[in-house]
Amino acid sequence: MAEPAYTVASDGETTGEEKSSSSFPEIAIGVDIGTSQCSVAVWNGSQVELLKNTRNQKLMRSYVTFKDEIPSGGVSNQLSHEHELFSGAAIFNMKRLVGRVDTDPVVHASKNLPFLVQTLDIGVRPFIAALVNNVWRSTTPEEVLAIFLVELRVMAEVQLKRPIRNVVLSIPVSFSRFQLTRIQRACAMAGLHVLRLMPEPTAVALLYAQQQQQMIHDNMGSGSEKIALIFNMGAGYCDLAVTATAGGVAQIKALAGSATGGEDLLQNMMRHLLPDSENLFLGHGINEIKLMGLLRVATQDAIHKLSSQDNVQIDVDLGNGSRICKVVNREEFEEVNRNIFEKCESLIIQCLHDAKVEVDDLTDVIVVGGCSYIPKIRDLVKHVCKIEVYKGMNPLEAAVCGAALEGAVASGISDPFGSLDLLTIQATPLGIGIRANGNRFVPIIPRNTTMPARKELIFTTVNDNQTEVLIVVYEGETEKAEENHLLGYFKIMGIPPVPKGVPEINVCMDIDASNVLRVLAGVILPGSQQPAVPVMEVRMPTVDDGHGWCAEALHRSYGSTLDLVTVQKKI
Amino acid sequence: MNCSFASSLSDAKPFLSHVRSHKPQGKPILTAFSCRACEKDQSTNFYKVLSLNSNQASIDEIQKAYRTMGLQHHPDVCHPFKKDESTRMFVQLHAAYKTLSDPVLREEYDCILSSRNFEGKFRADFADHYSRIRWQEQIQELKRRSSYRMEQKERSWGNRMRAKNNEKRDK
Repeated sequence: MAEPAYTVASDGETTGEEKSSSSFPEIAIGVDIGTSQCSVAVWNGSQVELLKNTRNQKLMRSYVTFKDEIPSGGVSNQLSHEHELFSGAAIFNMKRLVGRVDTDPVVHASKNLPFLVQTLDIGVRPFIAALVNNVWRSTTPEEVLAIFLVELRVMAEVQLKRPIRNVVLSIPVSFSRFQLTRIQRACAMAGLHVLRLMPEPTAVALLYAQQQQQMIHDNMGSGSEKIALIFNMGAGYCDLAVTATAGGVAQIKALAGSATGGEDLLQNMMRHLLPDSENLFLGHGINEIKLMGLLRVATQDAIHKLSSQDNVQIDVDLGNGSRICKVVNREEFEEVNRNIFEKCESLIIQCLHDAKVEVDDLTDVIVVGGCSYIPKIRDLVKHVCKIEVYKGMNPLEAAVCGAALEGAVASGISDPFGSLDLLTIQATPLGIGIRANGNRFVPIIPRNTTMPARKELIFTTVNDNQTEVLIVVYEGETEKAEENHLLGYFKIMGIPPVPKGVPEINVCMDIDASNVLRVLAGVILPGSQQPAVPVMEVRMPTVDDGHGWCAEALHRSYGSTLDLVTVQKKI
Repeated sequence: MNCSFASSLSDAKPFLSHVRSHKPQGKPILTAFSCRACEKDQSTNFYKVLSLNSNQASIDEIQKAYRTMGLQHHPDVCHPFKKDESTRMFVQLHAAYKTLSDPVLREEYDCILSSRNFEGKFRADFADHYSRIRWQEQIQELKRRSSYRMEQKERSWGNRMRAKNNEKRDK
């Protein structure tokens, strides 16, 4: 295959702002980069088609091997044996690590992967490296993602016989805007332009909307509004959406998500089988990596088997005389992972609550993703929703198909049979706000607000003659400001010296159709018709890697000298 | 106290488009949304935004209209050249839908709308006007209740008599 090496196209983050203005529209492809598998789909003129690699696979492993000079990924590479993944040279699970700093618990949970993930707990990016000829070769999640994005692009270009530039990518609900910039960066490195980043369950919602439309055309369904809960759990993330669907429009009522997935089930199981495993593998020598790999493969295999059988025999020789020989049954697996299943259940309840939907209102419940094969997952969804699981979707292909549909719709393609008269009305997965009222997070755009959106809130100063205020923008749900994702910060300077509480500081947040967030801040003194200082308009996020320590450092340096408080609306 | 920024999505007019000074009495100004894109058209009728002919449209009709209009005006389905316009359009569409799909908000809105029609023009501080309407409504409701209570009293005379008769019979 041609051009395996990747080039960095641009340092700036590209967005879906400009589209090619040629009269012949280019159809954007849909890409799903999963924690464990990735796939590509495209609208072929009449329906969505999944593209296959040279080995006739539709789903390819998401990993990159740094064995030779040129790294190669799971799209083109053929593994001679599963264990080759565990030589220390193969990097995977990058979707769990992208855009996270080394104080993040998800990064800490990745330390027993069979390559190097080291943390210093200072809020910088973790040290990730592959073992190549006994030397640690450092890499980043963006680089790894870019490598197989290039391979996916080449694969699609060969099959579609045209250059590919525009993509619609499915992403986890719980990704912060900073993480989205890292995904866009990886795409830019691979020469791809991101048309849309779609939360995975919303891609599934779009596919569901199309299926419902199809049923009306075939005179099988009614045109009335259908409320569906979508539960999507893969290796890395658990994502949910409640969607109201009618007339080809999927209106997202609520989103919920967490970095909880098959990987957590696997790690709990590995700890159960070998309680001291984390300490045993701390050294990350070549033998330890091999043992980690062996245990991983055996455990993964056992979990897969437990989906169809009641118990499974595990037999792993860990060398140096230790050997795990054990029969594990399904109850044991469910007990070991009780906290994960409880988390899933609470996410469902939260999502229904946020959508203001009662269980009785649900028409369908859709369970997709790799973990949807686990009986306990299907049971708990059924138990909470009290209806049978929807059958019309392939659990492993739903998200990528939805992304491909969005790719066609957003590229301006129309279909003579109306199959593309579709729309997803998106909602914000996380609240966005600023630090105020001491160290509180004050949301300006709350979670589950329909996009495009624009909201504002009025603040004022806390000190007399305060001439500067610091606007620190966060994204998240936690009341304590620093426990949310930092997106950026800027100062408003030159406020005339007046007593505290006098200036009206209006902070406005604006999310446009391309999901670009802008923060505007202006100051008005009472009685004045004009802003006291020029309005600041800043596109977010502004932070770069290693921002974890920023908020703390800002707090240490400035204390409350540049603080803000909310103004109660006078009624 | 209200100030509004020009939408960054729109043209290059000054950012703080207009600033109203503090109202001396601190009257509330009803601005559910202050995106200037919408404010410009504050006098538009939410029913017309959703292309509904009747103010009596059912909730199903409102939902259907929102979807149909969404399919035409959402920036995702419009040509990129019309991105700003379609974004404005959709934000307004959503504001209309949000108000009319909520029974309480819709009632308030209908009230404002009828007062607007009655006067033939849109009053600038309709909040003040609206509070008067609400007050009138409350008076009417009180009247209705008191007349109902009167009826109850009248009816209860019969009850009383029947009760008396029953008492007599029991003895």
